[in-house]
Amino acid sequence: MMNKILNIFLTFILTAFFATSTFAATKVVWWMESSADTDPTVQEMMCDAFNAEQDEVELECVFKEDINDTIRPALLSGSGPDMFDTPGASYIKIYQDAGLVKSMQEYADQYGWQDKLLGWAYNSGVFDGELYSIPKNYETMIYFYNKTLFEENGWSTPNNLEEVESLAAKIKAKGMNVYAYGSAGWQPTHEHLVGNYFNTYAGPDNVYKALIGEKKWTDPEFVEAIELLRKHMVDEGYWSGDLETYYSLDWDDFNNEFATRGSAMLMIGTWGFNVTATNFGETSDDWDWNPLPILNSQAGSAPNYQLATGGTMSINAASKNADGAAKVIDWILSDKERALKVTGSLGYGAWLLPLKYTDADFDPNIDPRQKRFLTEFAEASDSGNYGYTTWTFYPNDPGVHIWKDMEVVWAGDITPLEFMEESQRLWDQARADDALVPVGKR
Amino acid sequence: MPKFLTSINAISWYFLFPVIFIHFFVVAFPSILSLLLCLTDWNGFGRINYVGLENFQELFRDRVFKKAVKHNIIWTVMFLTIPVIVALIIAYLLTGIKRGQLFYRLVYFFPYILASIVNCLIWRYIFHPRHGLGGWFENQGIDFLAKSPFAMKETALYAVAWVDMWHFWGFLVIIYLTGMYQVDDSLYEAADIEGATKFQKFRYITLPMIRPIFVLSLIIIIIWSVPTFDYVYILTMGGPAYSSEVVANHLYSQAFQRMNVGYASTIGVMMFFYVGIIVGFFAILRRMGWEV
Repeated sequence: MMNKILNIFLTFILTAFFATSTFAATKVVWWMESSADTDPTVQEMMCDAFNAEQDEVELECVFKEDINDTIRPALLSGSGPDMFDTPGASYIKIYQDAGLVKSMQEYADQYGWQDKLLGWAYNSGVFDGELYSIPKNYETMIYFYNKTLFEENGWSTPNNLEEVESLAAKIKAKGMNVYAYGSAGWQPTHEHLVGNYFNTYAGPDNVYKALIGEKKWTDPEFVEAIELLRKHMVDEGYWSGDLETYYSLDWDDFNNEFATRGSAMLMIGTWGFNVTATNFGETSDDWDWNPLPILNSQAGSAPNYQLATGGTMSINAASKNADGAAKVIDWILSDKERALKVTGSLGYGAWLLPLKYTDADFDPNIDPRQKRFLTEFAEASDSGNYGYTTWTFYPNDPGVHIWKDMEVVWAGDITPLEFMEESQRLWDQARADDALVPVGKR
Repeated sequence: MPKFLTSINAISWYFLFPVIFIHFFVVAFPSILSLLLCLTDWNGFGRINYVGLENFQELFRDRVFKKAVKHNIIWTVMFLTIPVIVALIIAYLLTGIKRGQLFYRLVYFFPYILASIVNCLIWRYIFHPRHGLGGWFENQGIDFLAKSPFAMKETALYAVAWVDMWHFWGFLVIIYLTGMYQVDDSLYEAADIEGATKFQKFRYITLPMIRPIFVLSLIIIIIWSVPTFDYVYILTMGGPAYSSEVVANHLYSQAFQRMNVGYASTIGVMMFFYVGIIVGFFAILRRMGWEV
């Protein structure tokens, strides 16, 4: 009798053990960049939703502050999560060189990711012919304006340098600042402005040639672009009135200034949609947006949306569950409606995956201004009418130089030419070190 | 078992072993590694290439590094004078207060226990051009502090140092006060009989008697001024235009923003040698019979 009971017990234990090992879901851990505003939504609409829809892979999302500082020691120690975020493609290049990130080419071929993503976005993760990262978010630089204020004063939105400067004079005459902006919350905001002037004055074709080494950054169009930015910032005080105030305002300050008629316009990335809509919702004014005005006829025609990825996702080279991680990524990329719902819940400021959206994919209740951006950007960028942001297409050292040393130009300690000479030197060094990030053929 | 393994001396080493072991792997080994990394072009991830003394040559050409060294010297001089003088005076005055002294001690020491981020936010708000003092004065029709001193290249370094000194001087008050309480009262009584003034008592009794603590405070200030980082990083990130850049901030930027870890190690090595020279200098003074 005792033997029988023992047999039944052992059979039960062994069955339970094998059943658990055979049918247990593969666990995939993903370290994501943390943001208090978006983490709960991402957890619910991405991580929990994924786990609820299937039982092959169990996804655990771990939100980390300053992901790049956190992931670096984890990867170097040969451990770390199965999947991880990075701030951008330039970091992936370093990880790829060090063999810390897994090539996703076989998964991209298997799941057809190239067909799902916008061409430029897919190419931004291709190094040495293989896919290593996928952008989690895309953005570009535009300007918002106070529509009510413009209508009241009979102002037209500017399309070229002459119109910009003429409008700026009218706005200043009314006692307002031309643009709201500031760098106290994020010193690299300077590079937003530099990128804008490179793309709208020197033009995307020239920027592209300089990125791939066919042109020098010291060529006159780039030097002139920096001189024009210096003039507008220092001599004219376009941004928040003067240079010192620009250095002192943080995100809340300048967004508030824009919504309360302290400034007439806000030149910012498309991450500004959400906060602009929220802030104007508390006023009686209306807002709208436009692509950046083209400041030089040689720079081509509008719109030239600068391409930018805001964070990437990749698979750890040391992951034992890379297949599971690829399934997670494919799930994320496979449903445009779900992707739009997630990013819509975040005000289109995060998780705006670079998928090929069409009119039919959008919720009918979407703000038409937001929808106009999403469709116009997709059309323009897919047809090759685009520019380049510094934070997506610059290697680390020249990228940091752009925003750190721009202050030195504004301070009058070096000339725009000296600034661009240093830029060229750092680009030459990065090229020699094979540290460039992929640009994609124009 | 051999006798020396169970001797008192050996047992002491057994107890020390965990600390030595941890210290070696957490402090000593990375420090030695850093010494070696300064001879490489490592970016923090990939292959490590030996570049000889190239980083040192680059360092002596680096205009930002030169600027940062100059700022560190200015910083040290400011900290060796302003908070030291103020703390000495306040501590001496406090010794004369019999009632409510604890309250003053708490008030002076309070900024020291606040996190640097809190101190910085308080002062950033005070100097904010829109809703700080500048905004308030503007509403009164007075053009004062209209621009934040953190945002002007002429004042940024001094403004950051001001905030750090505001947080630091209370610490000096406490240690000077502790030293002053250890001075034998009979010395002051004798001075009173001789008709010494308050200043004479301070100059000829208090100051000589607290010299060991005073010199220690100077050593601490000099050494702590070398890696100063947090207040600069939070308030100005070394800007505008490197006007408040210090060596540690430059090191951070090279290591974690520009990914030049080899070069950043070179800066670290220079900082290490500088601190070594200071410590060596005071060691020589001690050997010469100075009570330091």
